[in-house]
Amino acid sequence: MRSAVTLLSVAVVVLVQAVVVNRLPFGALSDGGPGPDLAVAAVVALALTTGPATAAGWGFGVGLALDVLPPADHAIGRYALVLCLAGYLVSLIHRNTGAPGGIGARTSRWFALGAVLLAALGVGVAYAALGVLMGDPRAGLSDIAVAVGLGAGLTVLAAPLVTLPLLWLRESLSDHEFATVQGPMSPGGW
Amino acid sequence: MLRDSPRSRVTLAVLVALAVVLLVLDGRSGHNPVTAAARAGGELVFVPAAAAAGYAAAPLSGLYDTVRRAPGASERIAELEAANAELKGELHAARLDEGRAENLDELLHLSGLGGYEIVPAQAVTRTTPRGYADVATIDAGTESGVRADMTVVNGQGLVGRVIDAGPRTATVLLATDVTSAVGARLESTRKIGVVTGGTVPGGPEADLTLELFDMEAPVEAGDRLVTLGSHEGAPFVPGVPIGTVEEVQVAPGALSRLGVLAPAVDFASLDLVGVVVAGPAEDPRDSVLPPKPDAPEREK
Repeated sequence: MRSAVTLLSVAVVVLVQAVVVNRLPFGALSDGGPGPDLAVAAVVALALTTGPATAAGWGFGVGLALDVLPPADHAIGRYALVLCLAGYLVSLIHRNTGAPGGIGARTSRWFALGAVLLAALGVGVAYAALGVLMGDPRAGLSDIAVAVGLGAGLTVLAAPLVTLPLLWLRESLSDHEFATVQGPMSPGGW
Repeated sequence: MLRDSPRSRVTLAVLVALAVVLLVLDGRSGHNPVTAAARAGGELVFVPAAAAAGYAAAPLSGLYDTVRRAPGASERIAELEAANAELKGELHAARLDEGRAENLDELLHLSGLGGYEIVPAQAVTRTTPRGYADVATIDAGTESGVRADMTVVNGQGLVGRVIDAGPRTATVLLATDVTSAVGARLESTRKIGVVTGGTVPGGPEADLTLELFDMEAPVEAGDRLVTLGSHEGAPFVPGVPIGTVEEVQVAPGALSRLGVLAPAVDFASLDLVGVVVAGPAEDPRDSVLPPKPDAPEREK
């Protein structure tokens, strides 16, 4: 149930990114500038609610889907690699630093948004670095700075529409069976 | 410090290796069945979804345009009223005048002038998630005869070239992309050069930069450029207007002359474009360029 709902909502997010967000006129801000990246927002929500390996898998899948969908402006696998690492690291750090709330407990909303910001910045830098490694001539330093900063800002603005609902969905459909079991009735009254 | 189970690390390593393999496969030039199949699959999903989004968003984008233009609307109305009055006057004059056949020429599309065979298409996306590449997706693909390395034009001039074509969509690398280079010919002197997207190293800030190979070639602001044309018309057919020279930079010691170009096409409002599926039988030279604007006519 939980994974089916997650799969469906992630598919919707990826399609919305490819079909709706990519045709919005963000280019008006600065010629052909970046838009928000809903994929990062979704992967962070998943990474905050699963273990590192599963999060890496989700990141890989989401990234690959966006690689494959038009427009074909970069090599397939570039985004999958970056998002896979992002999912893994977010989940690993979340698990190991005892960030607010343990397993099964609710993640703080502000904490989630902070994670989205860091992840968006990291993904932006890693994607650009991969471009430099592969000899993509579009990656100039000032371009990267603008694209990463602006893109991360827009992603955080879009995150309340993606990350928070996904978090809520996954937490309320928790796999822990006792999460929905009511505590014992209070014996008061008699 | 960061603990993790070995199994989880193996999963990560496998996924990373897989991504790198895909990157290498797709990064190599030439046709690759794996990535081509993947792109075809992606497109299968993208086409109906994009069509549905376009259908649903049509009223919204209309509303957006209305709101966006509202501040200038009253000015625009005044401007239109003035233009209307002027046009009425001209209409009276035109009745007395001989039939002005020149007006018909304006109705003729670029394709008629140049003898190109064109497949019309609409630009579907304009931005990419990360915003580096200047590409657009159009809604025509191999089923309509579009192949990679075909020229894309619109009513004003050169838009770019197709870099990837699926059955029903194609990706267009716009002329303003940094990786785009188009062979060009000056309208007046027939001198050749290269038009590069963005700014070349050492060049001025621009959307399109012209590099002329001949240091002595006379070039000045206002000169217009058409495509030079490539072997067998791929990726660029000859004679498509590219832009107008705005400014010429004379750098001491440079090997070529640089110029800032104003593109013939308004890339910010890209909508209906045409893919040239068959080039002209013979080079139209610059017959496709609109006539030079005349000196302002005397007041009537």
